[in-house]
Amino acid sequence: MASLFKDPAKLSAYRDRRFPGSQEEFEHALQTSATAYVGNMSFYTTEEQVYELFSRAGEIKKIIMGLDKNSKTPCGFCFVVYYSREDTEDAVKYISGTILDDRPIRVDFDWGFLEGRQWGRGRSGGQVRDEYRTDYDPGRGGYGKLVQKELEAQRQLVDYGAGSLGSFPPVMPHSYGRHGGGHGHGGSHRQGRDYYRKRQRDDDRHAHEPSKRTSDHESRRNSDHDSRPEKNPRFRESGDSDDDEDEDRKRRS
Amino acid sequence: MSSWKSLLLRIGDKCPEYGTSSDFKEHIETCFGALRRELEHSGADILQFLLQCAEQLPHKISLYGTVIGLINLENEEFVKKLVEKTYTNFQDALDSGNFNSIRILMRLMTVMMCSKVLQPGSLVVVFETLLSSAATTVDEEKGNPSWQPCADFYITCILSCLPWGGAELVEQAPEEIERVMVGIEAYLSIRRPTSDTGLSFFEKDDETERSPGDKDFLEDLWDRVQVLSSNGWKVDSVPRPHLSFEAQLVAGKSHEFGPINCPNSPNPPSEPSGIAYDRQKHEAELKYPQRIRRLNIFPPSKIQDLQPIDRFVVEEYLLDVLLFFNGCRKECASFMVGLPVPFRYEYLMAETIFSQLLMLPHPPFKPIYYTLVIIDLCKALPGAFPAVVAGAVRTLFDKIADLDMECRTRLILWFSHHLSNFQFIWPWEEWAYVLDLPKWAPQRVFVQEVLEREVRLSYWDKVKQSIENAPGLEELLPPKGGPNFSFGAEDGEEKTEHVLSGELNNMVKGRAPVREIISWIDENVLPNNGLEVTLGVVVQTLLNIGSKSFTHLIIVLERYGQVFAKVCPDQDKQVMLIAEVSSFWKSNTQMTAIAIDRMMGYRLVSNLAIVRWVFSTENIDQFHISDRPWEILRNAISKTYNRISDLRKEILSLKRNISSAEEAAKESKAELDAAESKLSLVDGEPVVGENPVRLNRLRSHAEKAKEEVVSLRESLEAKEALLARAIDENEELFISLYRNFSNVLMERLDEAFGARTLRELKSAHADIMAVDSEEPSAMELDNENGKSQNSQSNGGKTGNAYNVDEKKQWCITTLGYVKAFSRQYASEIWPHIERLDAEVFTEDTPPLLREAVYSGLRRAIN
Repeated sequence: MASLFKDPAKLSAYRDRRFPGSQEEFEHALQTSATAYVGNMSFYTTEEQVYELFSRAGEIKKIIMGLDKNSKTPCGFCFVVYYSREDTEDAVKYISGTILDDRPIRVDFDWGFLEGRQWGRGRSGGQVRDEYRTDYDPGRGGYGKLVQKELEAQRQLVDYGAGSLGSFPPVMPHSYGRHGGGHGHGGSHRQGRDYYRKRQRDDDRHAHEPSKRTSDHESRRNSDHDSRPEKNPRFRESGDSDDDEDEDRKRRS
Repeated sequence: MSSWKSLLLRIGDKCPEYGTSSDFKEHIETCFGALRRELEHSGADILQFLLQCAEQLPHKISLYGTVIGLINLENEEFVKKLVEKTYTNFQDALDSGNFNSIRILMRLMTVMMCSKVLQPGSLVVVFETLLSSAATTVDEEKGNPSWQPCADFYITCILSCLPWGGAELVEQAPEEIERVMVGIEAYLSIRRPTSDTGLSFFEKDDETERSPGDKDFLEDLWDRVQVLSSNGWKVDSVPRPHLSFEAQLVAGKSHEFGPINCPNSPNPPSEPSGIAYDRQKHEAELKYPQRIRRLNIFPPSKIQDLQPIDRFVVEEYLLDVLLFFNGCRKECASFMVGLPVPFRYEYLMAETIFSQLLMLPHPPFKPIYYTLVIIDLCKALPGAFPAVVAGAVRTLFDKIADLDMECRTRLILWFSHHLSNFQFIWPWEEWAYVLDLPKWAPQRVFVQEVLEREVRLSYWDKVKQSIENAPGLEELLPPKGGPNFSFGAEDGEEKTEHVLSGELNNMVKGRAPVREIISWIDENVLPNNGLEVTLGVVVQTLLNIGSKSFTHLIIVLERYGQVFAKVCPDQDKQVMLIAEVSSFWKSNTQMTAIAIDRMMGYRLVSNLAIVRWVFSTENIDQFHISDRPWEILRNAISKTYNRISDLRKEILSLKRNISSAEEAAKESKAELDAAESKLSLVDGEPVVGENPVRLNRLRSHAEKAKEEVVSLRESLEAKEALLARAIDENEELFISLYRNFSNVLMERLDEAFGARTLRELKSAHADIMAVDSEEPSAMELDNENGKSQNSQSNGGKTGNAYNVDEKKQWCITTLGYVKAFSRQYASEIWPHIERLDAEVFTEDTPPLLREAVYSGLRRAIN
């Protein structure tokens, strides 16, 4: 309808490098697929919340949560598959940029889900965007993975008395103090069914999948990961914007 | 974008293209200057883009009209082409019944007439053609009065042009326009007034009668135009930029507009009334829908300082922006708030958007679109709009008992979604009094359902926190909805069911194949424990395994669907299956609804089984106090409908593919024939060489093309068979639905009060509402973020009681849903109306049920 300002056929600049085909095929897939990519979600948002929101654009066929490839927990994105293309278009038009679980989510056309695409592509297992973030985002596990590692390293320094406060590198964002520190959170997990069910799901669904690709390297990183500052799931003060995610999707490719 | 394009696009806006100027005259001069330089090289582009802008930005159409007028002074030929193009577009729009194009192109012609591009006489001829077509349509002898919606639409279009060019027409073609006005008046006297029965937002006490003061949309517009005419055709809301250029424009050569043809209305049904007539009228209403139904939310003082015609014009602007900027959030919001009018219109804007959101039978777009628009406007006008929205919510809440059931459902969905975008902030303490109302009081049910949806969009503790100003409302929160597994580890492990459930669980965990599970059931479970135990164990255990998320559920249903089907092969067992699902998820309505919906998707339960279950005693008792059974029923009907409409779409596209494949087959056949005949011409001369190769290639081509056609035809046949089945399923669904409604209502209507009419039923109810409506509705602009409180209304409410008794409320609610379902699926119900009449709506049918169904279908009651 609104062909004057926005060409409905125009697609976002994001190009998935793992798409197994030419640019034309990629564009054709985006223009016909009934799958939407949803980004900038909280790690704590459940499938049922997604269902409630996205079913307002049409009948949903499937939801595939994006998972951290190491921890097998949701890592802030998902795919919503509709029965009809029109409904997918409406989801992109009407839901992108609105709030789900206190966060502005991003909704875009996706070329279609394939097994394997549910895993985060970042080095640490989550999404690439969560590697490099320097902000504190409680809905997405606190600081970005790299910053978490820095913090971890510093904690070690402090623990062993080998450093002093003065040696803190500038990566420490000022918001650190505002939020009362990156570590030590963890008591205020979302209570109730969602949290309970989510943990359960992770245990069950992936327990039978042997971690066959766990190399030394990875298990070392996993232990890093485990000792990282705990997520503060319900510290809801998010300044995360669409554009940020936009960048990240490009980078992720 | 080249600069002339962005100048055209942005004309009239506050934008960098036009620097600091906000003067229309300067904009027009700048834009015209740029266009003039380009006409030579890019005339065709300009023509196309200019028309596109005029059609998609109709609130700026007067500016475009003036620009065209100025071009006309320089390049008559270009404008002649533009007028011709407008003419063909308009005729096409008439032929295809494209009502938006018809309406907007007529406005374009009007502003072109104002700029001396089009002769006033030509415009009048267009008016007269439409008028005469309309008059013929409503003529009982020559026309087809069931097609009146089209006739009314034509007249609406004529009247809609007058704010833009009434003054000019009266000045330049006084006699002709007078003739048109007289004609319209005559038309109004012969047409039948349109009743809004079944489509009004609020239940009126007597829907069937029309008081003399009631005007339908067209009569109302006529009145507004009369006032406009008596005010000397002055309209604040329509810019008249051509006046600044009048001295130049008079020199332009006005062009002629060719004669147009209105398509004939379809042949009238053989009888002038009855089913065939109503059915055709229903079709016409779908084809030429009334664009707006006014929703009066605010006290007249907030809106009525406008001239009557200004309200109409602003509504047109707003609806057009909503229409053309669907999908462009930024532009939509900025055009909505920046209309070219010299007065404030937040209240009117809110009323217009809410009227679309709640519009019956369907809004032009999905309700979620209006949710988005309201969110964006709250952000664009943070000081004014949130409070206006809050005021609208309060008024609608006050009248909720009278609000149509479908509108109530949409309002609940919208409001919960809206609040989820604004941190769930709402002054709940204002509504804390609903706790003192009986559990069937509509306001209480509304609050409860909004909270339910909030929890679904968020999570229990969060919503709990959001109502801390009215902690008592926690009572209305849904339970913290975990599964309700009968054979959990804690209780009674020694019982057989527990043991069996454990065994089944282990089989699933051990990835036992489906046939193994089925033979386990056949050999070990069914024979020893009977069906009931078996069903309970199997369903509960599998649901429990799939209880962790939507995806888990789907996986279980996909993997073990055959197990469910084995245990529940017929409708009786499917009803038991649904009951088991409902008990497993009794604390979680969303999961209940999802599970049943998926089971219907995998055809483990039929829509008929769902209907039967919805009308089981347990559910019937909840009809008036919860949306739960209705949500499940809505899902079942909509899924049935979605199947039909998907198949229709597929069939349509298959047919298209077939005709292009046939075309291709014909071509390749022709090519082959040509090649073959060429060969035969040189027969005797054995020219073997390249030709046999080519011939073979052509042959295989032609062969393939033929096969393609055949295979497409086969899939078409398959789809058509599926569609036929889906339509049958739908027919059975509605027969069963109405039968069930009829049964439950018959008992209860009689037993409760033996009321014959809705008026009697509602008399008590109406008294309450009369008390209610005397209270001022709560609206204050001063507080931000919709947090304003109205202590007056608050105080007034505390002593409020709701004295419609439970049985009456049950009937009112159920009848409301009957109407809502009938209306929403009217197009699918009409084809089966004869059978329904014969089998369901007999003499025994309670009159109130008949009334609800008929008004939903917009069918004449006698």
